[in-house]
Amino acid sequence: MAEISWISRGPLEHVLVVGAYGARDVAPGISLTEVRNFDLIQVMARRGKGAELANAAKARFGVAAPDAPKAVSASDVTLIWSGPDQFLVLSKGGKHAIDILSQAFSQSASLSDQSHARALISVTGAKARAMLAKLSSLDLHPASFPIGAAAATSIDHTGVNLWRGNDRPDGQPVFNLLVFASFAVSLWHTMLDAAAEYGVDIGFLEELA
Amino acid sequence: MRIVCPFCGERELGEFTYLGDAKPVRPAAGASEDEVFDYVYLRDNIAGAMSEYWYHGGGCRAWLKITRNTLTHEISSVEPAAGVGARQVAR
Repeated sequence: MAEISWISRGPLEHVLVVGAYGARDVAPGISLTEVRNFDLIQVMARRGKGAELANAAKARFGVAAPDAPKAVSASDVTLIWSGPDQFLVLSKGGKHAIDILSQAFSQSASLSDQSHARALISVTGAKARAMLAKLSSLDLHPASFPIGAAAATSIDHTGVNLWRGNDRPDGQPVFNLLVFASFAVSLWHTMLDAAAEYGVDIGFLEELA
Repeated sequence: MRIVCPFCGERELGEFTYLGDAKPVRPAAGASEDEVFDYVYLRDNIAGAMSEYWYHGGGCRAWLKITRNTLTHEISSVEPAAGVGARQVAR
């Protein structure tokens, strides 16, 4: 019988080439970073249990889960709004993994482990907004998409969860994007096309920062 | 055309999918064949304000009930269809 080996690998592993891409005669205007290992749990309130879930989330994470399109962070977790009465829990190191959270929310919510079902891409740099403006119909101006803003939206006909993290130390904005793993390669190429003219610095992180 | 999702805010049409007329009501079990036929197949071709279901599949995945003028595309109301989200907006 043939030996079949299932090797776990990141959705962008075979297309991501670390280094410079696109325009070379300018300082890179965009950094694209794939984050390869993280825990991601979708939490959805059961019918009529929204308030109960909100209480359980506050007790579990120490911060209130977002009830509007926002992302909120505590020391070891980011909660990202994904729809009415539902949010994503992004963390690392297994502290908020599915087996633990399903205990905490057993009375109020249904959970689904998305850790290996999404790719996480971080877009930053002086031209990040200009590049995303080519792909997204959202207004990403700081006045309407401040730090902590989040959106469930479509980019290039692909559903994404987009949220703005804390600015980099040099003041540049950071946009984080979760996309279904099987759409990640397609979106990655689209993003590279959009970013090429600004000069791109491509990298990856083994762990969520 | 843009639709103001009660959860996400104003979004482009491409994020939404049209289901159709929101008026037909499912007949009770045991209804006559004519009533069921009417519910499944027969639709009014309205020129003017029409109540419709739309799905925000490219966003928060909520079902919406929208009143749209089929002559002008003017949208006069958007509300969540019955379900979890509807309760949240009413809160």
